[in-house]
Amino acid sequence: MLRKSQLKHSTEEEVMTINTTNDRREMLRVTGAALAAAGLASVSLMQPKEAQAAAVSTPQWVMIMDLRLCTGCRACTVACKAEYDVPLGVFNTVIKQVVTGKYPDTKRDFIPRRCNHCEGTEKIGDITVPPCVKACPEFPKDRRIFTTADGKTIRYRGGATYKRPDGLILIDNDACTGCGKCIDACPYGARSYNQRKLSGKDKTKNAIVKCSSCVHRLDEGITPACVNTCAPGARIFGDLNDPNSQVAKLAKEFNLLENRDKTTMKPEEKTMPNIFYIDPDGVLANYSYKKEDKLTEYRDIVE
Amino acid sequence: MTKLSRRNVLKLAAASSVLLTAGKGMVSKALAGSIELAQGGRDFNPDTGKERKAVPTVCYSCVTRDPKIAFVEDGRIVKIEGQPNSIRSLGKICSKGQAGINQVYFPDRILYPLKRAGKRGDGKYKKISWDEALTELAGRMKKLRDEGHPENLMYHYGRAKGSSDKLPKTVFMGTYGSGTISGHTSICEGGKWVGQEFTWGSHYDNWDFDNTDYVLNFGSSVLEAHTNHIPTAQRLIKAKVERNVPFITFDVRLSYTASKSTKWEPVKPGTDLAVILAMCNVIMRDNLYKREAFTYIRATENVNAPADEKIAALKTHLAQYTPEWAQEISGVPAANITKYAREFAKAKAAVVISYRGLVAHYNGTDGERAAQMLGMITGNIDNPGGRCKAISASWKYPKGPKVKPKSKKLKITNGSLSAFPNHGECQSVLKMIKDGSHGRPDIYLWYCYNPVYVNGECQENIDILSDEKLMPFTVTSNIVYDESSRLADLILPDTSYLERWDWDANVSPTQIPEWEFRQPAVEPLGECRNFGDILCDLANRMDMPLGFNSMEEFVKQSCEMTPVIKDLPGGGFEYMKKHGVYHDPQAKPSFFGYKKEVKADDLQKEGVILDEALGVYWNWTKSKAKDEAEAKTLGYDKTHSSYKGYVGQKFGDKVLKGFKPDKVNKTGYFELYSTILKDKGFAPMPSWKPIPEHVNLAKNQLTLTTYKVPVQIHSRSTHCKWLTEMFHDNPAWINSQTAASLGIKDGDMVKLTSEIGEVSIKAYVNEMIVPGAIAISFHLGRTESGRYASGKTSPMGSDNDPDLKLKWWDTYGVHPNWLIANSPDPISGQHRWMDQVVTVSKA
Repeated sequence: MLRKSQLKHSTEEEVMTINTTNDRREMLRVTGAALAAAGLASVSLMQPKEAQAAAVSTPQWVMIMDLRLCTGCRACTVACKAEYDVPLGVFNTVIKQVVTGKYPDTKRDFIPRRCNHCEGTEKIGDITVPPCVKACPEFPKDRRIFTTADGKTIRYRGGATYKRPDGLILIDNDACTGCGKCIDACPYGARSYNQRKLSGKDKTKNAIVKCSSCVHRLDEGITPACVNTCAPGARIFGDLNDPNSQVAKLAKEFNLLENRDKTTMKPEEKTMPNIFYIDPDGVLANYSYKKEDKLTEYRDIVE
Repeated sequence: MTKLSRRNVLKLAAASSVLLTAGKGMVSKALAGSIELAQGGRDFNPDTGKERKAVPTVCYSCVTRDPKIAFVEDGRIVKIEGQPNSIRSLGKICSKGQAGINQVYFPDRILYPLKRAGKRGDGKYKKISWDEALTELAGRMKKLRDEGHPENLMYHYGRAKGSSDKLPKTVFMGTYGSGTISGHTSICEGGKWVGQEFTWGSHYDNWDFDNTDYVLNFGSSVLEAHTNHIPTAQRLIKAKVERNVPFITFDVRLSYTASKSTKWEPVKPGTDLAVILAMCNVIMRDNLYKREAFTYIRATENVNAPADEKIAALKTHLAQYTPEWAQEISGVPAANITKYAREFAKAKAAVVISYRGLVAHYNGTDGERAAQMLGMITGNIDNPGGRCKAISASWKYPKGPKVKPKSKKLKITNGSLSAFPNHGECQSVLKMIKDGSHGRPDIYLWYCYNPVYVNGECQENIDILSDEKLMPFTVTSNIVYDESSRLADLILPDTSYLERWDWDANVSPTQIPEWEFRQPAVEPLGECRNFGDILCDLANRMDMPLGFNSMEEFVKQSCEMTPVIKDLPGGGFEYMKKHGVYHDPQAKPSFFGYKKEVKADDLQKEGVILDEALGVYWNWTKSKAKDEAEAKTLGYDKTHSSYKGYVGQKFGDKVLKGFKPDKVNKTGYFELYSTILKDKGFAPMPSWKPIPEHVNLAKNQLTLTTYKVPVQIHSRSTHCKWLTEMFHDNPAWINSQTAASLGIKDGDMVKLTSEIGEVSIKAYVNEMIVPGAIAISFHLGRTESGRYASGKTSPMGSDNDPDLKLKWWDTYGVHPNWLIANSPDPISGQHRWMDQVVTVSKA
């Protein structure tokens, strides 16, 4: 893309201040020698909970979708398109419509969807990963450091698809071969090929894209683009580990964590999503989709 | 992704290795603990992390005009967000606002002045210079003016607002001397405004959802498409969810709004009026009305009638409209009508909201009058939590030369079929031109408007605009080559709203005015020039300088003239450039304006007289009365334009501001009884009128309802790829029972026929529409507007959008207007968008 090449040389200062993953990766790649010298080359891959146990607190970013408030306006969908210049045919967040009942008692509901940034239940080494990370042949790879707001560090491993200690599931295109195994592995259909971008490692393949929870905004203290534009306030984003956050309060009020069968998408997949739904009318139960439909699932059509 | 230069990597490595061995964290902004994320106001490139430049501006996708911020990177707008400091929008925008980027960069955009190079309508154009374009246009305009026929320049505009309304319409046309001007309000919501003008005087209602306890909605899709969408929608859904405010929607369709309501009450097309009349009957019958309100209500011929007499008169009038009677007509259960009426009347504060589902009908003006009645008799007019008179910021602006020619006008803008076309009769303009008995314009100039597509009877519109005998010269300023641009002899490439200057304002949901300011986020593409700039240029070429040479100067002068704005820190213009919005932080919300006393001094002013019979103080010098004697003889109600001099209304021994008239000579009372309507042969009180065409329909005759979806603007967004990607097909909604009775299955092609035309469309058989109706959305069925909208490349369209290769849809939907007659509501001239009967058969 034009934009990228024009900016290539203009970001030296910014890079220093942003916790974007590839900055760290680039850095750590060249500091391998220093790490080894310090006896730190082999570090455990800590998860947020484990990190807490070690008295290092990370955020746990979650999004709560309040289905009572979502009016199906699709501002979120377009905000995401613009934020990432998402090509036609690909969506990172959509609103699905669910119609039930017979006239005149018909109901029509809207379910906002995006990558669930799942906690996962499968293990790789010591860490718990969701199906997409598990499926990634390019994980685990480089060693990374996550720095918390109070200056503590957590070591973790990067990869083409990986999990950051704050729970975000991210893609590092530079490490990606575009094999597409993560696309197939995701039970939610949240991942797509970007037809306008090539994978970092195999230029015969396209890059893979999905929702990043706007990590580039989060790391600057700004809420994700879809949350920013959501007029009804149906998307609530924040740190579940902060008991004073709105998400923590809502999670408590609506028993979101204790009631995952009703508050998360496809609980039978045991992916432990970090997207929760406030759904007093049981709309999620009426929403079904087949795994093989995943691309159309993420193609938004307004009726 | 960022590639760090070698030098940079080494610098980082040196720093981090030290830090790592010391066991300390690196300098970063990773967040943890009780970090409060900012809502917005800043944005960054997701690949490079580079912060994007933020430019405050105002949306112009739809008429809501939410303040927003355009984020710019390397001279290109890449992202748009809401303006966090706006008290109207609270920093939010909708999908159309987000897609504003597409309004600038769509590949079929008109970038150069184009002159017709073949037969009109065959799509052949040549690129010409601005000088050539304006020399020709100024020459033609000057000739008309110098020959004494400025009225033969017609200006027809759509949803032009703020300075983009005033500069062309008031300043340019006023200085030129032509009053042949038409807006588009009658094809929008003109009937609603006329209904309000007969009751509370002025037009536009704000719905105070922040303070309401009950909402009754008659035919408004407020949650998906409304003239004040984002400011009101978010407040309504929050009232419902967070405060459990009941929200009942009467609609033919399970719209998005209906689906998010506490209850959807399906109603047969054109019968909302019956439901409202029955509710008012219940409230009067059960003595649930607010007695105090009757002080301000006129409900009898005698203006000075005591409250008891007015109450009795209204009870008598409404007694015929029982809930059972309304059920028979509308299909809404009588028990529900009674229940809602009682709940509404008993709520501490309640608001009745309405839009085209109520007003775009034969009986629409009375529908709105009835909605006003429901609000007023329960004390829910201009009160916290009720239906309030709109509050909006006002701008002062330079009006051009002091001495202007007396304006001349062709009488073609009000049609001939409605009694009170207070907002014109847009849909009749081309018919009037064809008819020719009131003259024809030599130059037809349109802006922000697509006459072929947005009126009914598309084919006739095309035929008239194509006929060089009827329309000698056609010219438009536009960003998109649409169905009407195709019939322009000259196309002037306009700036998108993200490349222009404007002052602006729209209604505030908080009853506190907010001033808004639009400025270019980027330089105009190609040779695009703002329409306002072009008019300044044309004026100079015709030796009639306007006193400013560009829209920027006009806006700047306006900032220096507008009282609240001019003294802002750094000067008004600079302040607004920096901040984009302004409201007075000390301002209090405005309610109950009608109860304010008129100052004694204002009654003593030169020309102010009292019409003793009506109790109206008015200034006869502002009316068309020849002298005071004539004014006194004719009286307030019979003097032409007396309403322009209205000062106040006597209520007992006080003179209050009352419900000030605008457009008709009503009193300062809230008029539920209108002698003005009575004099023209209409019922003086809101009364039931069936839709004539809906009586005795055959089984295969359905009533066509039109609507908007949340992701398209009425006619101005299908060239936006991100919107059309989501909505490019609009099958016709048919209730499953109706479909079964006609042998139509979901997905079948059906043929719809009306007296105007015929279309084929796919059937969407569902449970979301009342039996007997058929619904087709607006927006689609484009035959032009570029590849994303219609599959057709516009003249000079470019291939510079990599997404063109990824466009995956090849359906473009169907436009209902080919079927809909240009038929006005006989009172207001409102286009009857929801009344058309169509015959349905399998194609």
